[in-house]
Amino acid sequence: MTLFLRRTFPLIITFLFGVAFAIQYYVPHPVSEAALTEVSVWLRIILGFAMILGIASLGQVHYAKIRTGVAGWGYSVVVYVSMLATVGVGLWAGGQEEGTGFGWIYAYTLLALQGTMFAMLGFFVASAAFRAFRARSKEAAVLLLAAIVMMFGRVPLGEYLVPAAGPLAGWLLNVLNTAARRGIIIGISLGGIATSIKIIFGIERSYLGGRE
Amino acid sequence: MRELAGKLLRLDRRAIFVLIALATLLPLLHPFGLPIRVSPEVKAVHDHIESLPAGSLFLLSLDFDPASKPELYPMAVALLKHAFKRDLRVIGMTLWVTGTGMAEKVVSGVAKEYGKRRGTDYAFLGYSPGGANVIINMGQDLTATFPTDYYGERTADLPALRGVRSLRQVNYVVSLAAGTPGVESWYVYGKEKYGFELGGGVTAVIAPGLYPFLNTGQINGLIGGLRGAAEYETLIGMKGKGVAGMDAQSATHFVIILLILLCNLFYFISPRTAVPRGSPEEVGR
Amino acid sequence: MAASVFIGGWVAAGLTLFMFSFLYKDNPFFRFGEHLYVGISMGYIIIRIHYDVMIKSLYSPVTQEGKWWLVIPALLGLLVLARFIPKVSWLSRISFAVIVGFGSGVAIPRIISSNILQQVQGTLKPILNAGQRPFGMTQFNALLILAGVITVLIYFFFSIEHKGVIQISARIGIYFLMINFGAGFGYTVMARMSLLIGRFDDLILFASREYAYASLILLILVTLGLVLWERGRRPSS
Repeated sequence: MTLFLRRTFPLIITFLFGVAFAIQYYVPHPVSEAALTEVSVWLRIILGFAMILGIASLGQVHYAKIRTGVAGWGYSVVVYVSMLATVGVGLWAGGQEEGTGFGWIYAYTLLALQGTMFAMLGFFVASAAFRAFRARSKEAAVLLLAAIVMMFGRVPLGEYLVPAAGPLAGWLLNVLNTAARRGIIIGISLGGIATSIKIIFGIERSYLGGRE
Repeated sequence: MRELAGKLLRLDRRAIFVLIALATLLPLLHPFGLPIRVSPEVKAVHDHIESLPAGSLFLLSLDFDPASKPELYPMAVALLKHAFKRDLRVIGMTLWVTGTGMAEKVVSGVAKEYGKRRGTDYAFLGYSPGGANVIINMGQDLTATFPTDYYGERTADLPALRGVRSLRQVNYVVSLAAGTPGVESWYVYGKEKYGFELGGGVTAVIAPGLYPFLNTGQINGLIGGLRGAAEYETLIGMKGKGVAGMDAQSATHFVIILLILLCNLFYFISPRTAVPRGSPEEVGR
Repeated sequence: MAASVFIGGWVAAGLTLFMFSFLYKDNPFFRFGEHLYVGISMGYIIIRIHYDVMIKSLYSPVTQEGKWWLVIPALLGLLVLARFIPKVSWLSRISFAVIVGFGSGVAIPRIISSNILQQVQGTLKPILNAGQRPFGMTQFNALLILAGVITVLIYFFFSIEHKGVIQISARIGIYFLMINFGAGFGYTVMARMSLLIGRFDDLILFASREYAYASLILLILVTLGLVLWERGRRPSS
């Protein structure tokens, strides 16, 4: 019985939900539409709880660092203090951001920190362009050429110096890039559908986790 | 000469960082203001909004977080200014949790500039988890998906949402997206079944991937990156962050092109020691 | 200017410079900023989950609208959290089965329609309509797209040996892919530079007189801090 509940029952649920909602798309009956509406509400609630999973995992990692006193544990204290302070201010503001302390934290700390973290990639892309982007083969040369045409033709200075650069970059995007990208999209979609079918029929079980 | 080329290839990357910093900073401080050519895909979004009669429903989904603010926030400002100028009923929302604050700020900020009233002329629904499930839910029953707006008002009672039961009643949806859930989610789970017109505004990273959908008409227009934002600002006669950033964009692109060309020049003229391809010695120290 | 905006400018400029200090090397300023970002993000997400999910989507509908059946997804959601208790972690499989089953089921017909059928239609339709008009750039582009799609798909078809005509087609497909990757790289550079422009824009704003030259003063302080940190490290390293 335990084995049935642990292994087979989840696979049955996956199968039932998968088949039901794959077929639902082709059944315009009001009951079918109502089922889609209701279950999509359920999914939003369940996924909200699943977000707690990520937060809790992160909290666990930093708590372990503080408890064991590994090098850099002080920074984990920073994580906890800032998290609790944000939650405290957020609860006090009732979750509202307009003109509140919670909004201030968002606007002047989170925006600055996350924005800068990703902005630094600009420096690293330049460094990588100088150190690694070499035309070692014909294919790499084509890649390089396409990149240069794109970077040149999609900025006002490039279009000013060479008026044909803009339309050339546009043609590359709308024709050659579209062709390759379409092939990739069709390929990925076919693979995705195959994986979805394998999941529904219980052939692919990695999403369940664990060895049982 | 060959030895020099070899030495330059091993240049400390911090020198490159300084070069990029200067290429970004100087044009921002002293702009040269070159004209911006508008592309057909950006014009398509603009023209569609122009064609909508006053009172039409325009849903703007701000599906991005602070990391993509420099590219997508200027787009949001330009689109909202255009929509409010055209007296469209605007519905704002987001599918990205950390984008909620920014989304609220831009919608309410631009609305205030145009004297638009919250709940009457526009509604801000806020965030709901689930990505594609939110879109499906909205396609089935919008007010059930968001029973209250971001400020706690019942959505069924809002004049801005009068006559709206689901996405089928929305005239135009634009998703400003930095990834998934984003434009692709809106057409696979939204437009595909509920039949609204869809436009996209995306970061430059994902823009090339959406051209096949533009080609088939699955999205009617595409605003790509800061350049796209600048084009839209040009179309509505506005000088915002998009236009202001174009000179720095030009300068940094030219620096990168120069670095790539120099890298290849130095690589081909530098002495080649027997270093295996792709080895750590070859790729950046 | 409101005090909160003034102080906010100094805080934002300081944190921006803390993060940028990583460009010199990994240092305590950056580490502090990095961990502060993690903590604040976690706190923000917790608040959003509390108000936008628990209260708006669950508590209010159940208590004010009488939708008692929403207790079922709430229970399924709690089962997800069973993952943290090793003895009963298997219970979370039920919730994941619902999530994955529903997700896979809704995706299949929609992806077939959007990403396969409509894309194939979009490729073939211009070719089929080509005969109705004189051959021009539009028709040429349509043929090029068709050639590109077919050769790229042939390249990715690894179940057959790439020999003869297949090999030639696959090699053409590779060149189309290189153009796609090159366009992607060019646009990625554009994106990264745009993000940098955005941050520098804010730093320039915070360097103005209204903010009492915050960026400049903090730049000097952070630089001084890094110098002192380096000096402090040297005897031990």
